[in-house]
Formats: sequence, structure tokens, C-alpha cells
Amino acid sequence: MPPRTESQDRRAPPPHDLDEQKPGGTQAHFESPSKRLPAEVIARFCAAVGEENVIREPEDLRVYEADGLATYRVTPGVVLLPATSEEVSQVVKIARAAGLPIVARGAGTGLSGGAMPVAGCALIGLSRMKKFLEVDLRNAFVRVQPGVTNLDVSKHIAADGWYYAPDPSSQSVCTIGGNVAENSGGAHCLKYGFTVNHVLGVRMVLSDGEIVTIGGPTLDEPGYDLLGVVVGSEGLLGVVTEVVLRILRKPEATRTFFATFPSNEEAGNAVSAIIASGIVPAAIEMMDTLAIVAAKAATGVDWPEVGSALLMDVDGPLAECEHTSQRAIELARQCGAMEIRVPRDTAERELMWKGRKSAFAAVGRISRNYLVQDGVIPRKEIARVLKEISDLGTKYGLRVANVFHAGDGNLHPLVLFDARVPGEEKKAEEMSGDILRICIRYGGSITGEHGVGSDKSAYLGEMFSEPDLEAMAQVRCAFDPDNVLNPGKVFPTPRLCGDKPGIYKPHAAELSGQAERV
Amino acid sequence: MIELRPQTIEEARAQLSQLGREKKTCAFLGSGTKLMLGALPRTDAQLRTAGLARIVEYEPADQVVSFEAGIALAALQNALAKERQRLSLDPPFAAKATLGGIIAAASSGPRRMRYGAVRDLILGVSIVRSGGELARSGGKVVKNVAGFDLPKLVCGSLGTLGLIAAATIRVHPLPEAEASLIVRSLSSEQVPQLLDKIRAAQIEPAAMVASRTGPDRWDVAVLFEGFEAGVKQQEAKLRAVAPADRCDPWADHAALRERGELRLKISALPTALPQVESELFSRLPGARAAWYPTLGLGFVSMDAAPIAAELEFARRSFRVVVEAAPAGSTLDRWGPPPQSLRLQKAVKARLDPEGLLAPGSFVGGI
Repeated sequence: MPPRTESQDRRAPPPHDLDEQKPGGTQAHFESPSKRLPAEVIARFCAAVGEENVIREPEDLRVYEADGLATYRVTPGVVLLPATSEEVSQVVKIARAAGLPIVARGAGTGLSGGAMPVAGCALIGLSRMKKFLEVDLRNAFVRVQPGVTNLDVSKHIAADGWYYAPDPSSQSVCTIGGNVAENSGGAHCLKYGFTVNHVLGVRMVLSDGEIVTIGGPTLDEPGYDLLGVVVGSEGLLGVVTEVVLRILRKPEATRTFFATFPSNEEAGNAVSAIIASGIVPAAIEMMDTLAIVAAKAATGVDWPEVGSALLMDVDGPLAECEHTSQRAIELARQCGAMEIRVPRDTAERELMWKGRKSAFAAVGRISRNYLVQDGVIPRKEIARVLKEISDLGTKYGLRVANVFHAGDGNLHPLVLFDARVPGEEKKAEEMSGDILRICIRYGGSITGEHGVGSDKSAYLGEMFSEPDLEAMAQVRCAFDPDNVLNPGKVFPTPRLCGDKPGIYKPHAAELSGQAERV
Repeated sequence: MIELRPQTIEEARAQLSQLGREKKTCAFLGSGTKLMLGALPRTDAQLRTAGLARIVEYEPADQVVSFEAGIALAALQNALAKERQRLSLDPPFAAKATLGGIIAAASSGPRRMRYGAVRDLILGVSIVRSGGELARSGGKVVKNVAGFDLPKLVCGSLGTLGLIAAATIRVHPLPEAEASLIVRSLSSEQVPQLLDKIRAAQIEPAAMVASRTGPDRWDVAVLFEGFEAGVKQQEAKLRAVAPADRCDPWADHAALRERGELRLKISALPTALPQVESELFSRLPGARAAWYPTLGLGFVSMDAAPIAAELEFARRSFRVVVEAAPAGSTLDRWGPPPQSLRLQKAVKARLDPEGLLAPGSFVGGI
């Protein structure tokens, strides 16, 4: 499946300051509507979650036919809106008995089609599950239902001086359940890590309806680190119905600066120099000329239209922040920074970040359509890879805007095109794929934070060998042997789990009573 | 017993392939620092990773290093130190332990408070599965969500899923300055209260360890790392919160983690220290104990003694794992199994269908 397209929207600024705007879907590809479910199946779903929480009319189902990758649409068979783990479990059992595939969905902001329905599936919408179940500041955790939004976690504990670190750009709408499925990152994960580093435990419903708890507020549950593989499993291993999140005390200080450079090369060198000096920035973001122009058009920031710009945060204890921000500014100057701006107050700082975070959506102001790409390269290769991407643009005759998390080498090239020009969309899709191949060639990854989903499964087979994928597929088989959860996503070719693995044989130590099996 | 000492990953693959064909069981061994109760089952073969000890790729600018898993942590740290970097892991047996062993045992130390455990730092892994197939997962960049995260799955798997042949891990700059302070003689109630104060003052230690000095008496060591200016300021702020002296308690703490015929690991909520004190520590005369106040992890080191009853009592309230016990001990190593045991067994059965890798040594008889 080719990458997503986004369409221009000149009517109004985007509803949220996302850098991951909901695409307009000019080129939507529809699947033929699936046949209606038998009345007795609907009746069972109604009994489980209440009639008002079973969506089955074709016009209502269309709301759920896509996620943030809106160019591809598939109509679900039915949408269920459960309120508890037990209801999710019942819904899964009913769907299984009716032979329906199951897809879970949070807010539908994902950009890889992970929450896109499978034809005729039971889509479990977790938007009603937005309770805070437990807040324990002394033990530094909260327990929430999956429909709570990312930003609401931080808001809920802000008055006490705490926050939740992962901050995807869609944080005001995206849900914790979706973050867990995608292992979401954000600008500040360079220092603080990704969702997986902040999830202490989950309660989840397995493919047979069993409710299982993995991990919890206490650390190091004996056994395999299933949590590590559940986070980021893109809805293939189970439906997460509760999440225990590690929360952090707010740092004493944050220092921000914005620096301009003649080109990406100097900016890339500044990033390398800052990191090499031992500074761990909270965030370090880079934008090229086109992205700067777009951000200016969208948010009114008064940035000069230079070759490249950096936006950087350091945070932590005050004295440390003062020291590291000064040192970083010196290094930026040494690497050829033309201008350094330090925000005078919080409002100015927030405007700078708004400029950065709205950059994706802002590109809609300078191009009729564009593709958002998400690839990762080793940090030191930034300048070389950007040059290669620019050469690709020349070859294909397309413009590319670059907005990215420079600290961890996570690129977001935006390939600009005009869908009205015959063949241009196809060229953009090919070029977008070539960008991923560059990332693979440099030893990077085809996705840093948006996920594989429906969108990139073909490229997963270019990044990993068949035996690599086979080991991953076996893990899926352990959780979902019948391949009913989000089938067809992530893996490049359909895989069956085959026969159940060999019968468990007790070990000699177990038989002799030295070890026991429970 | 067949002893295998592969010098290359290819050789290890050939050896495991042959063992697989012959349906022979195998266990993996690094430097042998964690040969605890049940950790090394009796198997047909034993594969030692000492010959797989190369640094495969090290890019200081990217702050990642790839290595073969038999490399010793100390050797890796030496190589990193030349570029003023380090792996921010401080597990027990840091002088001898291999990275493969540290990953397989999910071994961590006090700096886990700031930098996380192995699972938080590992980026990629290559495992040789039973049968000899090589499977890679993750990658060599710090941010990557392509495919399932098997690097985390193998952390703590004790060689039951495959030979951890090579891995890639994130490294950090060496801190410019550090300072260790100690706040003395707190009760088990006061230890979490000290942490409350530290958080209220927005002090950010890199590590904290409470050491038990007597019945319900604890000395709390606080480590600061970073740039000189920051460390100085934080030291001053801590002294404003509690009377604190400079100290160097880390060698003592390492000894507690490494020595003693009987060693236990406790996992509880950070504020549960008073309960752990009354329901376990106070019932083990002569035991030394330490507690990581933010992580809720406790460690006991003692001479061999019959403690089955104490263990059972404590396990009603919190988790206790026997990390080391004398040969022949019949103590239940893991305690009650996790609720996900069925899934755990399914993962094992899928990745090692013949059950050839370290059988019987893991949780729930896996």
C-alpha cells in the first residue's frame, strides 16, 4: 500500500496544533461495503455493552472507516464501545464466536493505518474508557483506562507538579491506549524515552477473551518481559484495557533557544557538536527552509527564511540548565549559527514550540498535497541523508520539506505534490518509498514513531530478513494463535501459526520436585 | 556434557543447529557470575560465550554501541571511556559480568533510577534460536518502532529463548562531575518521606540506595551526576532538605549485591518499606539489606539459613525472588507465578518448540 496523502485545507487552521494533521483524503480508496451482521450477533453485542454502544448503521460505521491514514478506508462490520475490561472481554468472545476479525481503536490519530478496520470486523472503540482509576504520587504512578488522552494524564497531575513525559504531537487528542499500541514518542523522548519506558503494567484482553494483567506498579514481575513486547505491538497481541503509567516530577527549569543556520549541514553539525559535548537535550528539533516558510504561514512566528533552524530544550535542575543552554548556544555559534533567539517568557517559548509542532499541518499552506514520511537514520548521517533526499527531489521533480527530531535521527520528510497533475501522486509515493530505502541503507529504520500498520508492512520485509520476521511472528502466535487481532497489519506476508507447538514436557527437576510448575 | 566455545556467531549457529538435529538440550554461560539456584540447569551441552567478545560497531557520535554478547561489561566500559562515554548500567559483578549475562538476567543497579534498566537501554539484538536460525530485532538507532520489540523480550529470559549472540545498546556521555552524600539513621517510614522532600525540592539524583544499619535504621546514599554547576547546586539543595555528609558507599553496596550464600530480591511499592521491614528484614537476623527508594526494589544478603517460612510469610504481601542460594537448596526461587504464565509458556513453546534451551530453569518450570 502506498504512503498516505494529505490534501490542502485553506479554510481554517487545523483543529489541534498537531504536526500530524488528519489528512483530507482526496484520493480515498474505498472497499466495497461488507454485508450486514446477523441479527442474533448484534443482539449479543447489545446485551454485552448496551444497545446505544453498538454502532451498526452503514452511515454511522463510516465514521470509523479510517484512522489518520485517511486515504484508505474500510468499513467495519460493527463498532462496539465497551466501558470496562469485562465488557471488552465479552465483546471479544462474541466476535470470536461469530468469526469476526477484531480491531481496536483509540482516537484514530495514528498515521500508519494501525486502527484502520479490517473488512467486516468488530471494531472496538475505547473512547468511552477514559477513567482515572488510581493516582499515587508518592509511588509515582497513575492507573488509567486506555481512552484517556495523553495530555489529560499530565493535566490531571499538573497542579501537584507532576507530568507524563511522552509527548506525541497529537497529544491533545491521541489516547494512552493508542500510545501503548504504537509505542509513541514525541519531541522530548530523546532524554526521557518512549511510551515503553513509561508503562509499568497493563491489563489486557487476549484473543480468546481472557483478561490478563502484565506487570503493575511494582517492578520486575518474574517471567518474560511481555510488557516490553506488548507496548508497540500495534494491536496484534491483545486489547489493552488498563495502563499503569510512570509519572515524573516536573523539572526545576527549562531553557529553550532557537538558532538559524545557512544550511542543513551547519545545523546538523551543531546537533552533533551539542550531543558530543555531553549535553542530553530534552528535545532538539530541526526544520529546513520549506518547513520554516510553512510554519510562518500557519502560526505567524517571525522566523527568518533561512536554510535551516534548530529548536532546542534543556531541562532539569536550574544551575545545570543554565550551564548546558549556554554551552549549547556557544556550540551552535561555533558551528555557524547566524542568529540565536532565546524566548523572553513562557508565551514566547510556547509560540516557538507551536511553530514547530504545527509544521506538518502548515505544509498544507504551501502545497496542495503532501506525503508524511517517518524514517530513522544514525544521527551523524543527517547532513548526508538530507543531501540524498534533496537529490531524490531533483530526480523526481518534487519539493521536500524536512521537519524532524534531530537528536535521535528521526526524519519526517514531507514530499509535496499536486494530485491534479497526472502521475504526480504516484511519483511522490515512489519517492517516499525511496526515502525509506535510504534509511535502511544507512542502517536506520522505516519508522521511528508512526508504526508499520497497514502502510509500511511491505517495507518491513526490506528491513528484516525472513527468519527475523519469523521470530516476531511466533510471538504473535503465542498471543493470538488464530490471527484474529488486527489481521493483515505489520507483517508483509500473511502468516499462519501452523500447528500448536509441541506438548509441554516436564523437566527432570520438576519431576523430582526441585522445581515446580503451576 | 558437551562444552562448546564458539569463536564466531556463525560457529555458534552451526553448533546449535547440530544440537537441534540431535534434540540435545543446551544452556548458555557468560562469565558465570549468576550461577544461582536453578539458573544453570543440567543440560546435554553448555555453550560458553567467551569467544564472542568483539565490539562490532561503535559510533561515539551516535551514542550507540554494537557488540557480541560475550564481551565483559568492564571491557566495554574501557572502550567507551576512551570517548568519554559509558554504558549507564551498574549491575552487580560489574568487573566480571558479560553483557550477554547482564541482558539475560536483566541485571541492574542503583543508576536504574535515572537511566533505566537494560530493557530501557537495549536497542537491538541478534539471537540464535534453537536449531541455529539467526533472528534480528530492533536496530542500531535510538528510535525505532519497526516490528516487535524482541530485544526487550530477551531481557531477563535467562537463555530460555535463544542465545543472545549480539546486541546494540544506547550509551551516555560520562558525567563531568559527581557527588555522593549520605543521610543517616532514618526509620523505614522516614526513607520514603525523604524521597517526598527530594521531589518537592525538584532535586534529581541519579541514584539512591538505603542501607539497613540495624533494626528499622537506614542510611540513605544519594548520588548526583552531571555538570559541575548542577551537581554543586543539587548537593546544596539536598543539605537544605536533610543533614547530609559526603560519603562513598558504593563498594559496600556492590558487596551486598554480590556476596552472601543466600540473596533475595524484593519488589514492592516504594512506600511499602515499613511493611517490608516488619514482614521480612526484621525476621532475618544477621541479614544485610538495601532498598532502592524510587524503584521499590530491596536486596538481602545473608549466610545460609532455613528461611522457607519467612519467605512464605513475606510473599503474602510482596514479591520475593531468591537470587542465590546454596547448592541443594529447596527454596522456591520465583514464588507465585505471574498471572500471565499461560502466555509465558506459549512464548517459550513458540520460540523454542522442542524445549531445548535451558529447560526447567525459568519461572513456572519453563
